[in-house]
Amino acid sequence: MTPAGRLSRRTLLRAAAAGAAATAAGCAGGGPSVQVAVVWSGSELDRFREVVATYPDPVRVVSAGNDIDAFLRARHLAGTSPDVAILSRPGLVTEYAARGWLRPVRPSTEYAVPIGLSDLLLAGGQRYGVWVKAAHKSLVWHLPSMLPEQPTSWDELVSLTRRLGALARRDGGPAPLAIGAADGWVLTDWFENVLADLAPTAYDALAGPDADWQGRPVRDTLDRLAELWSIDGAFPGGGRRALLTQYEESVIQVVRSRRAVMVFEADFTAEVVGRFRRGPEEPVTFRFPSAGTGGGALIVGGDVAVVFADARGGVELVEWLTRADSFRPWLRAGGYLSPNTTIALTDYADPVRRQLAREMRGPDTLHFDLSDQLPGAFTGSDGVGIWRIMQDFFADVTDGVSAAEAVRRATGQLAAAARDAGGGR
Amino acid sequence: MNEVKVLGELTVLDDVGPPRRGRAYPAAGATSALLLPAALLLGALVLWPVLRTLHASVTSDGRWVGAEHFRAALAAPGTGAVVGRTVLWAVLVPAVVTALGYLFAVASRRSEEGGLVRLILLVPVALPLVVTGVTFRLMYDPDPTRGLATLLAARLTGRSADDAPQLLGPGLVTVALMSAFVWAWVGLAVLVFRAALDRLPPSLADAVRAYGGGRRHVLWDAQWRPLLLRTVAVVFALVALGTSRTFDLILVMTPGSVRDDAAVLALRVWQTSGGTTTGQGAALGVVWLVAVVAGMLVAAFFVRQAWPPPRVEATPGPAPTTPPRRLFRLLAAGGAVVWLIPLVVLVATSAHGQVDAAARGWWSAPPGTGSYAALLGGDELWRALGFTLLLATVVTATVLVVALLAAYPLAWLTGPAAQATGLLLMAATVVPVQVIAGPVNEVLGVVLSSGTARGLALVHVALGVPFAVLVLRNAFADLPAEQVRGARLGGRRWWGTLHRLARHNLPAVVAVSVLEFVQVWNDLAVGLLFSGPEATPVGLFLAGQSRGFVSNSGVLAAGSVLASVLPVVLMVLARRQLVAGLVSGGVR
Repeated sequence: MTPAGRLSRRTLLRAAAAGAAATAAGCAGGGPSVQVAVVWSGSELDRFREVVATYPDPVRVVSAGNDIDAFLRARHLAGTSPDVAILSRPGLVTEYAARGWLRPVRPSTEYAVPIGLSDLLLAGGQRYGVWVKAAHKSLVWHLPSMLPEQPTSWDELVSLTRRLGALARRDGGPAPLAIGAADGWVLTDWFENVLADLAPTAYDALAGPDADWQGRPVRDTLDRLAELWSIDGAFPGGGRRALLTQYEESVIQVVRSRRAVMVFEADFTAEVVGRFRRGPEEPVTFRFPSAGTGGGALIVGGDVAVVFADARGGVELVEWLTRADSFRPWLRAGGYLSPNTTIALTDYADPVRRQLAREMRGPDTLHFDLSDQLPGAFTGSDGVGIWRIMQDFFADVTDGVSAAEAVRRATGQLAAAARDAGGGR
Repeated sequence: MNEVKVLGELTVLDDVGPPRRGRAYPAAGATSALLLPAALLLGALVLWPVLRTLHASVTSDGRWVGAEHFRAALAAPGTGAVVGRTVLWAVLVPAVVTALGYLFAVASRRSEEGGLVRLILLVPVALPLVVTGVTFRLMYDPDPTRGLATLLAARLTGRSADDAPQLLGPGLVTVALMSAFVWAWVGLAVLVFRAALDRLPPSLADAVRAYGGGRRHVLWDAQWRPLLLRTVAVVFALVALGTSRTFDLILVMTPGSVRDDAAVLALRVWQTSGGTTTGQGAALGVVWLVAVVAGMLVAAFFVRQAWPPPRVEATPGPAPTTPPRRLFRLLAAGGAVVWLIPLVVLVATSAHGQVDAAARGWWSAPPGTGSYAALLGGDELWRALGFTLLLATVVTATVLVVALLAAYPLAWLTGPAAQATGLLLMAATVVPVQVIAGPVNEVLGVVLSSGTARGLALVHVALGVPFAVLVLRNAFADLPAEQVRGARLGGRRWWGTLHRLARHNLPAVVAVSVLEFVQVWNDLAVGLLFSGPEATPVGLFLAGQSRGFVSNSGVLAAGSVLASVLPVVLMVLARRQLVAGLVSGGVR
C-alpha cells in the first residue's frame, strides 16, 4: 500500500495532534514515531525519555498524569489511542483486553519476572502486557541513631510502639510511627502487608470475582492493624493529625523534623529522603515484620506496558523494553527497580535498589498490590473506594471506637463497595 | 458620535427607539450567517451534551431504566449530606459575600484610603481559585509550626499544639473552604455595589429628606427600592452560581481523608463519572443542572421585578456628600488588613526554599530564593505559562469575534424574543462543565480529537461565548439612539456599522475580553477534564503539584505567585471598564 493510501482519518488526526503539540510545546516533529503514554511525570518521566532515546526509532513519550484510565478512554472514543501505554494497574490490562482494545505482546527472551506477577497480565490465554518497573512495598524506614534495634516480628513492633508511645506521651519524645493517613494508598499498603502475611491464599482470592470481604482473614487483618494503630501516642500529633498528614510529610517527620522514629512505605521513599534528609546520616530499612517466624510478606507494585490494537511499531518497542539492557540509563541514574530478574544485580548503581532486587528474587512468594487489582471505583482514589474505607477505619480505631465495632463497620463497607464494583461480597 | 444633521435624517432615523429598531436589523441571510458560529458552538458543545446527559441519566447502555439511576444516586450513602452541603454553599456564602460587599462598599466610599481598600479587595478576585486554595491551605496547615491560623487558634484557645482546632479536619473543613471562597469573592461584590451606589441620584435622597424622611427612609426609599434590591439580587445570584466553582478549592485544599466531608455535588459528579458521563453520575449531574437553572430563573425574576433601573440623567460627578463616619472607615481599613494576611502568607512562603517551607514555618526560617530558582530553572512552569498564555489569548480573541457577530443581530430583538434569548444564554452560561464532560468528549472525538490543545480551546470558547454574547447584546441594545444613528450613517455595510458600534461599546468589549482571558488563565476544571498530554495549563500544573502539598509547598507558593501576576495586573488595570461594561448590560 502506498503511503498516500494509508492516510486514514486516524493518521490525519494523529498528525494534527502532533502538529498542535509541536506548536504548543515548541518541539520538533517529523518522522514516524511510536507514541507512548505513561503514568510518570517529573524526574521519572525524564528518566524514561532517556531510556527510549536509545531505541533505534523515534519515540514520543507523553505523560497522561495520574488518571491514565480516563485519558485512554477519551483517546479511544476519539480514535487516537497511543501505540503503547504504561499503566500502573494490572486490572486495567485485563479490562482493556476484554474490550478488544489491546494486541498481544511478545516479550524478549531476556524477560523473566517473579511468579505472581506474570499471571496478572494474561487474558484468554494471551499475554497482553509486560512489567517494566517494580516497587518494593514492604519496607520500614528509620534513622539508625533513632532506633538502635530493629523489631523482628509483629509482636516486637507492637511492644516497641507501646514503649515509645508511652515515652512520647510522658516527656514529648519522638512518636514511634509516622503515617501518611491522608493518602489512602498508604493505609491500603499496611493492610496488604498484614493480610499477605496472615493469609496468603485469601489475599489472592480477594483480587478475584468471588472475594469474601467479611471473612475471617480480612477481620483478623483489621484486628491486628487496630491493635497497633490504637496505641496511645503511636503517631505524632495523634490519629486526627495523622489523617491530615500526607505521605511525603510522614517521611519528613522521620528524616528531617525527627518527630517520629519509623515510617512504613515503598522503595520510592528514597527520593523523598534525598530531598529532605538532614545531616549525613542515611536512613536504613527493614522488612515489614511478620507475625510468624518467616521473613514476612513481600508486596510489590509495578507498571505495565501494553500495545493498542492498531498500533504501529508498538509490539517491537515493548519487546525491546523487556531486554535486559534497555533500562540501563535509568539503572545507572538510580531510583529504578526492575521486575526483570535476568538483570544482573551489579547493574544497579543504587545500593538500596540492589538489595531490594535481591530480595525480590528470594524464595518468598510475591504478592502484587491488592488495591491496584480491585475492580472499578473500589480500587480507590481520594475520598473513594478502599482508600476511603481504610481511612474511616483508621479514624475509628484512633478515636477510641472498640476494635470489634471498627472491624464490623469496615468489613461491611468493604463488602458493599465490592458488590457495587461488581465483584465479591 | 455624529452630531452633524444630515438631510433626510430626521424623517428616516429619528424614530429609531427600542420598539422600532427592526429597521436597523441586518437582512435575514446576514443574520443567520452572523449567528451561525455561536449557534454551532453552543449547539454542539453545550446543548447537545446537555441532552446526552439527560438521556444517559435515564438509560443504561441505551436501555430505558426510568428513574433507577436517580434512586440509586440519591440513596447512595452520603448523597444527602452532599446535597445539603451544596445548598448551604449556595445560600450561606452569597449572603455573607453580599453583606460584606455592601458594608465594604459603603465604608470605603469617598474616603482617601477607600481606593486602596478596594484595590486590596480586588486582588483576590483576580487570583486563580487554585492559588486561593494553595494560600488558605498554607494558612490552615494543621501543624502549628507551619500554619499561621492553627498557631493562632492554639494560642487563643489555650490548647497544646496537638489539640489545636484543625481547620482542615473533618469538622471544620467546610468552614475553611467557605472562608477562602468569601475572601476571593467579596471584592467583586464591592465593585458592583460601589457602581450601584454611584449611580443613585443624590437628589432622590434629598427629596426623601425634604418630605421629612429619616435615615431609615432614605435607605429604604432612596437606595433600596430604586437600585439596591436589584443589585443585591444580582450579587447574590452571581455568587450563588459561582459557588459551583468550589470544585477547584476542594481539590486543592482538602487532604484525601476529609474530601468526603467537604464534598459538594460538583465533586461528587466528578468522582462518580470522571471523564465519562453515565448512570448515577449523569443522574446527579441532572439534579445539579436543574437546581442551577432554577436558581438562575429565580434570580432573573428578581432582577426583572426591579427593572428598569432609573435612568441617570447626568453622571453624578464627585459627590459633595460627606465621607462615612470614622468608625466605619477604620473598620474598612481593618478589613483590608485582614484581607492582606493570606497574600502575605503566600508571598512569604514562596520566599523560602523547598526544604524550609516544608519543615518549618515561614516566620522561623531565613528567606531564600530556592523555590523560585527550582521553578524557573526547570522548563515545566515556563511551558505551562507559555501554553496558558497562548490558550487564553486565542480563546479570548475567538470568543470576542464570535460573540460580537452574534450579539449584533440579537441586540435588535425586542419583547418576548429578546427575553427568551436572554434566558437561554443565561442558562448556557451556568451549565456546570462537569455535568457535560462525557458528551463533550464524544463531540470532540468526532470533530477533531479529545485530549488535544485545540479541543481544550474549543471547549473554552463554547463555555465563554454565552456570557460574552449576553453582555455585548445588552450593551449594544443600551446604546443611545444618536450613536446607533451615527454608526448606521457611517458604516456602509453591516460590518462597518458593527465596527463603529463596537467602538462605542469599548467598556463592554474590554470587560468581556478581560473576563474571558482571566477565566481561561485561572481555569482548573476544564483543563482537568479536557486537556491532553501535550501541554498542561498552569492551573492544572499547580493542582498536580498540590498532591504532595507539604513537601511541595515552597514550589507551590512560588508557582502560585508567578501564575497570579498577569490576571491581577489585568483586573486592576481594567477595573473601571469592567464595572462600566458589566453594569451597562451584563447583569440584566
